[in-house]
Amino acid sequence: MAELAGIFASSHGPMIVRSWDKLAPAERQSLDTGFQELGRRITAAKLDALIVISPDHWVNFFLDNLPSICVGVGESHDGPPEPWFKAFPHRKLAGHPALAEHVVRTALARDFEPSVSYQLALDHGFCIPLWKAKVDPLPAIVPVIFNDIEPPFPSFKRCYAWGAMLAEAVKSFPGNLRVGVLGTGGLSHSIGEADMGRIDEAFDRDCIRHFERSDAATLCDFLAERQPGAGNGASEVRNWVAAHGAAGGRGFDLIGYAPIPGVYVGCGFASWKLG
Amino acid sequence: MRDYWLSKLCFDLQTPALADEYRANRDAVLARYPLKPEVRAAIMGDDVAALSKLTNPYLLRFYFLMAGMAEDDYLRRIRASKATADERR
Repeated sequence: MAELAGIFASSHGPMIVRSWDKLAPAERQSLDTGFQELGRRITAAKLDALIVISPDHWVNFFLDNLPSICVGVGESHDGPPEPWFKAFPHRKLAGHPALAEHVVRTALARDFEPSVSYQLALDHGFCIPLWKAKVDPLPAIVPVIFNDIEPPFPSFKRCYAWGAMLAEAVKSFPGNLRVGVLGTGGLSHSIGEADMGRIDEAFDRDCIRHFERSDAATLCDFLAERQPGAGNGASEVRNWVAAHGAAGGRGFDLIGYAPIPGVYVGCGFASWKLG
Repeated sequence: MRDYWLSKLCFDLQTPALADEYRANRDAVLARYPLKPEVRAAIMGDDVAALSKLTNPYLLRFYFLMAGMAEDDYLRRIRASKATADERR
């Protein structure tokens, strides 16, 4: 059976790429330190496949059809289409259709009904962490898109349960495969809203404390209450919650956190201690 | 609820050729979208506050980037508008 060999979380704000040269040296240093350690931990996990949970920033989906959760089952995925992200070296990223299909089948058996796509473009949400953490060569990527962008959103409780189901899917997948889970996005930020640029550091630090110490119900209750006030981008913490669910709600290990005004985001990096 | 055709315009401007055309000839592009008169007027007036009530914030910010508004100008205008946490739920 496959092994769940690593669980990770990372912020992904686009200004990390678009505004890199304009950031203060301390901001760049903070981000570099976080991504470098994230990359070291991902590389050490020697992954064959990586399930990446990220939102779709209006690249694949629109109001015509907006799945709450979509699993990418394609043999490959297109690289990021954003014109400012040409530096990302991969125009195609290999998928893992067999693992992806197993995730879908496990989800359905556990009373989840994900959408399925054979053809996805993976935007900056997926690719900034992979690029900045220098994950090379890339493992096969199984993208799982959570709708964190356009309300109404899946509940935090449900996202946690999704993560737990993902762990079950990995551990029941036949084959000698080392699989990781990476949740991207968050922590607090506000994009396009009246408080755009505001970082809610108090929320972020409370959030981290709950990941470190609280049970799942307490974490989810906290987020349901506080996340809507921490900016629309904070909705992406759903992807961290799914990673936490994959870890069984234990072992959260903060790599680093800093509010980075130059990218508008409270930037966090974490992994989970397994076993 | 969102205004579908305003949102569609924002979404479609991810196509670089359309964004170029939009900056060169806004009327010609808007003519292809069945926009409500008040929405069209808000677009023509670069009315950030009015449009912010009608579409997703990510799309709105992207729209004004593509329309040629400087980020500082957008920030000034959006911060002068009103948004509540309840709208994000």
